[in-house]
Amino acid sequence: MQKTFLTILLSISCCLLFQQCFTEKKTAYDIPDHVTKINRQLLLEKCEKGKVLYKLHCSGCHGIFTKGKDGIPNFTKIQIDNYHTTALIGMDPKNHAVAKKMSSEQIDQVVTFLRLRKIN
Amino acid sequence: MKILLVILSLIIAAACFSFITRNPDGYRQLYNSRLADFKSAQQQLLQQIRQADLSQPDQRDAIRSTIHQNRQNLKTLDFWLRYFEPVAYRKLNGPLPVEWETEVFEKFEPPYKRKGAGLTLAELYLDEPVVRNDSLQALIHESIDSLATFEADSITSQLGSFEHFFLANRMFLLNLSGIYTTGFECPDTTQIIPELRSMLHAVKTIYTRYNESFPQSPISQEYLLQYDKLLTFADQQPLAYSAFDHFGFIRDYVNPLFRLMQAQIRDHNIYSANYNDYALSNDCNSIFDKSLFISQNTKGIFSLVEDPAVLSEIKKAGKLLFYDPILSGNNKRSCASCHKPTEYFTDTTLATALRFDGNGNLPRNTPSLINSIFNHLSMLDGKHISLQGQARDVIQNPDEMNSTEQEVVKKVMSCAAYKTAFKKFVKYTPEEKTVSLSHIVSAITYYYADFSHYYSPFDDAMNNGRQIDPVAVRGFNLFMSKAQCATCHFVPHFNGVKPPYIGSEFEVLGTPADIQYKKLSEDKGRYGINPAEETLHAFRTGTVRNAAFTHPYMHNGVFRTLEELIDFYDGGGGAGRGLNVPNQTLASDSLKLSAQEKKELIAFMQSLTEKINFEMPPSGLPPSDNRLLNTRKVGGEY
Repeated sequence: MQKTFLTILLSISCCLLFQQCFTEKKTAYDIPDHVTKINRQLLLEKCEKGKVLYKLHCSGCHGIFTKGKDGIPNFTKIQIDNYHTTALIGMDPKNHAVAKKMSSEQIDQVVTFLRLRKIN
Repeated sequence: MKILLVILSLIIAAACFSFITRNPDGYRQLYNSRLADFKSAQQQLLQQIRQADLSQPDQRDAIRSTIHQNRQNLKTLDFWLRYFEPVAYRKLNGPLPVEWETEVFEKFEPPYKRKGAGLTLAELYLDEPVVRNDSLQALIHESIDSLATFEADSITSQLGSFEHFFLANRMFLLNLSGIYTTGFECPDTTQIIPELRSMLHAVKTIYTRYNESFPQSPISQEYLLQYDKLLTFADQQPLAYSAFDHFGFIRDYVNPLFRLMQAQIRDHNIYSANYNDYALSNDCNSIFDKSLFISQNTKGIFSLVEDPAVLSEIKKAGKLLFYDPILSGNNKRSCASCHKPTEYFTDTTLATALRFDGNGNLPRNTPSLINSIFNHLSMLDGKHISLQGQARDVIQNPDEMNSTEQEVVKKVMSCAAYKTAFKKFVKYTPEEKTVSLSHIVSAITYYYADFSHYYSPFDDAMNNGRQIDPVAVRGFNLFMSKAQCATCHFVPHFNGVKPPYIGSEFEVLGTPADIQYKKLSEDKGRYGINPAEETLHAFRTGTVRNAAFTHPYMHNGVFRTLEELIDFYDGGGGAGRGLNVPNQTLASDSLKLSAQEKKELIAFMQSLTEKINFEMPPSGLPPSDNRLLNTRKVGGEY
């Protein structure tokens, strides 16, 4: 009896733990109120695309981005502006090989994601 | 004690010696002193204008001659100024009163209005019927004000490190090939070669001072020897720019210097972080190499795909789509309908293509897709910044292919072959969950961009010293001088992209609606995108490459032959033929070209025909689930 109880308890806690691991925290975004519903949707789509690209190509050096944890550095507005500019004029290829290869749309997606990401 | 004395004297001697051989600040001093010289010369010119009575022709001539002196003075600094701050440079020696900078590093910004001032505009102003003293003063005053930019710490601090020198020198060489010998900013053509000579000698001094100040990263001896040869050549050439051997100058002197400079840029591991030359490649060894600069991302959404096997599959899908009328609303029209791959990806039979409904024709001529990747803006009015945007627009334009995003994706995905291919490709774009129009247009642009990588006999002559028809060489020399072509069609692509190749230029030529010049073409051109006084009837400057095979010419296809086209320019464009074109950017007086000279120009244009390997169209198109779609024909029906 006790054994069964223990097994059940163990499996429940395991499930809970797994769930904890697999549910990724949804990123919240700060979009100003005056943005129309359609544009808000477009911006959100852009941000989500940027998030995927960031995770794949930027987080290796810039921040920890693991299960359930969003460890992206809190870039300041000026830092993001600088990234945007340098990305478009050509990043230093020694350090930013991937960014240099991105299309301007992809750069835009990453930068939009960083700009609108809600910082806790 | 003795030993101490010996050591001490040795130290003193060494210190003295180092002062003699090394002059760490000599380079910076040269910049500062030349800048100060020019500033005081400009102030004297301003003084002279203030005291002058401009109604007197001799006083105007005296001012003109001071302007010429000051231009030569400016040329001693051109090497730096043009590289450090091109926007402020336009106040010193701008070619036009207003220019719309249509493409800058920040791709998503609207065009910037740039006002010019300075010596060139002052000289042109002197020729006006009424010359007002205060207006003339203002032009020089503005140039003096803008010099403050070049005195600022943010600019002069660059002089302390070697990187800027190599990059500025590379730009200088590119300007030598495309700007300095054509009269681009020099209205008095008798001054072009004298200015060139004094500039070349002034740059030699810059090199010497640089090597004294930066002994750890000197400019190579090989380069300096080659530069001396260039100096000798330029000094021995005639003073008239029409008699100057532009071809030999570029092939035998400027281009070899460019190769040496690029090698040093790579050796020193220098990468530009400047807004001006970000488009330039460090790996290219000739100005006429097509990798010189990047202006379009041909891969689009597949930018991060590197695997050659996948890329070749994308290209294959792109080719099928290029010929597939499934992209149009009625499944009867493909990209190849108007951009005929057998006719240099344009349509040489029609002035302008048929409308989608077959009811009349479109307003503009189909441009060739070959070398379209070497523009920053696409379409004749520069509406799009990317090739992918252009392709999307054509597919969705009701007068062209008349389809919609959803419809195209649905129809394409109804074909099993496309479906398998794109399902695979979408895995390489993890940010996109489903196949979209972006995947489709990116495959198409990636396919046709390949045809822009071929070379012409003229390139072979420049790159590899191959033999070329001497008539074509004479034609090139005319193109660069008397015929005034190269002031808008810049080396090396002979399109509207000038060094440092970061923007596309627009010109107002006064193109007539008909060959009899009865009236001006009504098409407003760039005005539709960027409404401004200067952009009315302006069109993006196209390439001269393959011109022998891409007729008819102009935005409306009004000219059918190269002869008609040259006659148009020779006659001073629309304004030269009596049409009312107040903002024409082409000089309205005749070029006075002889029949022989026109033939030579045509021979040069023919030498720009690229040896392209055209492909056969695909034998069939992928079958669809929808049987109605399976009757579609390769390349479409009209």
